[in-house]
Amino acid sequence: MSRFSPLEERDGKTVVRVPFTRGLTLTSGQTALALVGLVVLFGLPFLAGLVGLSWGRLFRGLLFGMAAVGLNLLLRHTELVSFGHAAFFGGGAYAVAVMAAHLEVSEGILLLLSAVIVGTLLAAVIGYFVAGYVDIYFALLTLAFNAVIFATVFRSAFFNYNDGLAVRVGGDNPTLFGLAWTDLGYDLVLYYTTIVLMIVMLVLMWRLINSPFGRALDAIGQDRTRARFIGIPVERYVWYSFTISGLYGAFAGGVYALQRLHVQPEPTLYVFVSGEILFMAILGGFTTLVGPLIGGVLLVYLLEATRFSFYYYHAPIGIILLAIVLFMPKGIMGSLPDFFAGLRRRVADPGRLGDDVRSIRSMVRQSLTRATTTVRILVFGVK
Amino acid sequence: MIESFAVHTLNGLWYGVILFMIASGLTIIFGVLGILNLAHGELYALGAFVVFSVVGYATGFVASPDDPVSAVIFGVVVLVAALIAATILLPVGAFIEAVFVRPIYDRDEVYQLLLTYALLLIFIDVMKFGWGTSPLDAGTYRGLNQIPTTEIVGFGYPSYNIIAMVVGVAVFAWLVWFFDRSKTGRIIRATAINRDMATAIGVSTDRTFTLVFAMGAFFAGFGGAMVSIGPQTAFLEMGLDPLVLSFVVIVVGGLGSLKGAFVGALLVGVISRWAIWLWPAVELAAPFAVMLLILLLKPEGLFGTWGEIE
Repeated sequence: MSRFSPLEERDGKTVVRVPFTRGLTLTSGQTALALVGLVVLFGLPFLAGLVGLSWGRLFRGLLFGMAAVGLNLLLRHTELVSFGHAAFFGGGAYAVAVMAAHLEVSEGILLLLSAVIVGTLLAAVIGYFVAGYVDIYFALLTLAFNAVIFATVFRSAFFNYNDGLAVRVGGDNPTLFGLAWTDLGYDLVLYYTTIVLMIVMLVLMWRLINSPFGRALDAIGQDRTRARFIGIPVERYVWYSFTISGLYGAFAGGVYALQRLHVQPEPTLYVFVSGEILFMAILGGFTTLVGPLIGGVLLVYLLEATRFSFYYYHAPIGIILLAIVLFMPKGIMGSLPDFFAGLRRRVADPGRLGDDVRSIRSMVRQSLTRATTTVRILVFGVK
Repeated sequence: MIESFAVHTLNGLWYGVILFMIASGLTIIFGVLGILNLAHGELYALGAFVVFSVVGYATGFVASPDDPVSAVIFGVVVLVAALIAATILLPVGAFIEAVFVRPIYDRDEVYQLLLTYALLLIFIDVMKFGWGTSPLDAGTYRGLNQIPTTEIVGFGYPSYNIIAMVVGVAVFAWLVWFFDRSKTGRIIRATAINRDMATAIGVSTDRTFTLVFAMGAFFAGFGGAMVSIGPQTAFLEMGLDPLVLSFVVIVVGGLGSLKGAFVGALLVGVISRWAIWLWPAVELAAPFAVMLLILLLKPEGLFGTWGEIE
């Protein structure tokens, strides 16, 4: 293998070295998965219609997923649970709306830039206050900040209360790169710009979490006291990572505003949205880089599809969430390696299927026993 | 001026007492089980819905449409209805703990938060199934639209609010006595401090945990019942704002401290009502400003003992 070839030998297997990512290598299976992902991502506007899915929904899913990728920097590495990341998503979205509605800025790229700046500043301010806290205090404080921002927007005439603001100057869509587009052209240019930026941001995130800074965050997550003893400025690093994770949310929120062309407080800023962003990271697998993205696409699709078709749309999400927490804590992407390993073993040795049936049977029996025990405890108390 | 000061302070104290009931449930659940129950606000809402159904039946017996009930009968009806509503929530809380919360005690916080968040979502639909999406309000029940008032410093104040305040203080006194003096309360505290040791001396932690969760649900439901009968209505998302505010209360008072929760609740209640009176624009932000100030000056809260019930 030449020095410039992307192929490399490792543990006797040929792996693909991904450029610009410092040390990210993929096995053949992962490469295939990544290529499929890229093709789907770039072909989405055309593929979605073919299989009867709504492209707009998938696009919004990717955006919320991007916010979840940002949140995951805190969740996975510093092990802090933020319940207030909708503040940055909504902050970015509202920055776009305010610039367009009050200052009449009509260039989409400028609007997006202002979203990132405003959202990141917001994250820096909130992060400054919460960086010293851990565990439940951290979750409560971020939730409280989120709640107060929502309340302020909801109650203020400047943000037009619950009706929100339109992102149109003089009734026209924003321009992108200085050009006015037709409706379809606008959506496509916005989508492809976002996709390219998103891939760059994912690569940057990979670089970040595999840098000394990322390692320091891991150390903080494992044991703050020890991290402090080996000389890591804990609060400052948590503050930095909070700000960076806010940046991702703000970017996503800004694109969301440009895509919807109308920003309301409830779908962008509400505390529920924070919970959803957190859920996306867990659902997709928060131990992986792109898991939150997948979780975002799935959850937004599910939420938007159920909201307009069913009277009871909270409970299905709640039940799925419950099942994920209880039975699949690694999420979708996190469970893939186990799944493929299991599949490979079963292809090699079909006799294992009998074991599977037996283990499912014993699982059912165990859960039945637990259920009866629970009922007994409820009715008669214990022992 | 004096009069509106008195009204808003009284309203604040009343709201503070209600907040205390929710916050006390959260505090004891967190203090003993280490679980932050996000579904708590929906238990509060459930209490409100149940009490409307109960009162709807009860007032049918004690009042006719043209004849407002007397203050005493009204007070008794309200109290009994609130107690019934809260009692219905006891098994609900026990069921949640035994079935859903028990498997996740040893898991990461994020799973605990997500699990209770999932329960919150499910609860919303359960209530939607039971009572529909339109809000219930007191006026739809006979007799309740003419709430009796009591004379205090020269103006009429709803006697119902006074009853609620007295009851709230009684609940606080009972809780302090319960955890300080009673045998069960001491066992619960011992379990909170050291689970393994409590098991070793023969305490059934399973039963203790179920009991604590049920108690938490009881007080949430009681708070919901007390707040909804007054000038308020019951609606599906009514639990969210008090839930967030009771987080503020807990942080202000110190996580795990009942006395802290009481003082914090009164403080937050009075400040939010004063804000409505003096500067309505900051009403929602005022409690959070107080919380920030206290966190910056005294991070463990007013009576803080990190995560042990006291």
